[in-house]
Amino acid sequence: MPEAVGFYTDTTVCIGCKACQVACHQWNDLPAGRGPADDSPEGLRRPYHSYLSPSETGRIPLPLLSGNSYDNTGSFSDVNWRHVKFLERFSADPDRSQAAWLMMSDVCKHCVHAPCLEVCPTGAILRTEFDTVYIQEPACNGCRDCVGACPFGVIHMSAHKGIAQKCTFCYDRLQQGLPPACAQACPTQSIQFGPLDQLKKAARARVAQLHRQGETRAHLYGADDKILGGLNSFYLLVDKPEVYGLPSDPKVPSKSVLGSIFWSIFTGFLVALGVLFQFRQRTSGVRGQESGVRGTPNQESRARPGQEGLP
Amino acid sequence: MNFFVADPDWGGWIIAYFYLGGIAAGSYFLAILIEWFGSEEDRPLARIAYWIAFPLTVLCGLLLVVDLHRPERFWHMLFKSEVMEAAFADGFPFRAAGWRLAVEAPAFKYWSPMSAGSWGLTVFGACTFVSFLAAVWPQRWPGRWLQERWPHRILQTIGCAAGFFIASYTGALLSATNQPLWSATVWLAPLFLASAASTSLATLGLIAWWKNLGTPEARARLEGAEPLALGLELIVLGAFVASLGDNLLPVLQTVRGNLLIFGSLVVAVLVPLLLHARVGHRRWWGMPVAAVCALLGGLLLRYGAVTTPAELLRREPSTLVSFAPEESRQVGERGADIGNHGAVVQPRSKFTREP
Repeated sequence: MPEAVGFYTDTTVCIGCKACQVACHQWNDLPAGRGPADDSPEGLRRPYHSYLSPSETGRIPLPLLSGNSYDNTGSFSDVNWRHVKFLERFSADPDRSQAAWLMMSDVCKHCVHAPCLEVCPTGAILRTEFDTVYIQEPACNGCRDCVGACPFGVIHMSAHKGIAQKCTFCYDRLQQGLPPACAQACPTQSIQFGPLDQLKKAARARVAQLHRQGETRAHLYGADDKILGGLNSFYLLVDKPEVYGLPSDPKVPSKSVLGSIFWSIFTGFLVALGVLFQFRQRTSGVRGQESGVRGTPNQESRARPGQEGLP
Repeated sequence: MNFFVADPDWGGWIIAYFYLGGIAAGSYFLAILIEWFGSEEDRPLARIAYWIAFPLTVLCGLLLVVDLHRPERFWHMLFKSEVMEAAFADGFPFRAAGWRLAVEAPAFKYWSPMSAGSWGLTVFGACTFVSFLAAVWPQRWPGRWLQERWPHRILQTIGCAAGFFIASYTGALLSATNQPLWSATVWLAPLFLASAASTSLATLGLIAWWKNLGTPEARARLEGAEPLALGLELIVLGAFVASLGDNLLPVLQTVRGNLLIFGSLVVAVLVPLLLHARVGHRRWWGMPVAAVCALLGGLLLRYGAVTTPAELLRREPSTLVSFAPEESRQVGERGADIGNHGAVVQPRSKFTREP
């Protein structure tokens, strides 16, 4: 049995070169040049013709510039399984005298308690022998439950294939004993690949080093089991997770199911009680009368004109 | 609320399924309760539910299939596709080896609302089909068979449970995500159930009034149940709004969020209640107009519930990127705490110095 593997992304050494994105596209044969995801704010502003495929336009569309720093993919999408974020920050003084960039290469977290895997009704999403989360394309029927369940916005629907798409953790490469393409391409070792235990040890050592150097805000996101039981792709951050576009407290979807069931049963009980009250009581009353009177004058007046007295 | 998620893009087909499924399931659930608690003269009202529940359930199944991006794979909801393919390769249904594999094919994940819902809809569809046949041809099979005590009781029990489940699980399905609004509350399922009760009572009442079915007393009892259902919906809607807590403010900043809360409150609950209280006893049109309002309000409720997260996500971009110095300066000047609203930038970072 192979041991569990993962990614450790040290955002402090990311230089935003996007080599990981390019390597991911190349290895997985993902098309380039589509620009921001269709459902992203940038994507919604794209002209219609930019969505057309080369076969429809007769030419390969050029990538559109998003206007958001050097980020021209905008977010994850069906063809962008990695996304390098450029977080530009300026000081509050009128001259914006201080500026800084945070960069981060984001990817599927391959969560231990993966919400997508939990909700998938078809069993298309499964956990591999490497403890990664993988979508079996032939089984997916495009219900999109996983898209709504993923707390990181990782999974998107492929307009071309009609199925859910996300990082495969280069499952085919892992089977051959190769590291994922992104980790191999990263020139600064911001993305590190390896057995999870070793990665966590290295990450904790790096955090301790940064603390010694005065960067006391450095912390690990997802290395422990507090977030969805642990993330197999975890991060070293130097600010709040939200600053990097990561939720601080994502939830396991099934957490809400018990509460929903309890209150639904309670409501269903009240509905049944209402029917019991309405039909049992009145029925007893009518039975008790034994007078053969079919309804009160008021009830009769409620019949449509022309229907009065009909059986 | 988590604004870093992607939109599952559940639109018109799903809204229609939630709405019509609620009416079908609510009608069937109520019909069985009416049969249990009501008198002989209430039976025609229950039969209306049996007439409409099956066609609506078939329509619901079609809506769900059409909504899939790969509709030809709809059966993957019930059976593991790879196991079935292996079973067919082993000669299913003609060889024992194929059957041995096929019995392992059902895919049921009780913890996944969509998986449980697929099976629930299948069971509910079977119950409504039998009841439909019995209602249309009471003297033929299975109508004759259902005149026996125990088969009828068993069908009623299973059908009642399935109807209750279908009327409410759709809300649980929405809550079992990480979408803004949906994941913030467990009250969507009870709200959908209460709404299913009021809309199905309105449907039954409207059909009974239109076709002049049942006795005036039975119709009056049905009509009298509607305000009770509306009152319950009002209470559950209140609990839903209260359960949102701090998340209520962002919801109220969206058009669809306002439709969900105020639209449903006014159209689905208050106007029908007012009509029942003030007009229903004096004018012949009081009940039908109240019923139409309740039905419109139920649709508004589903529309608002399904589409509000998409509007929230459009207003709060899921990616944290900004190259707008003016925006950042304003944020800094206000000293705003960005919370988890990722589209703005923090004025201070580890790279900035204290002035």
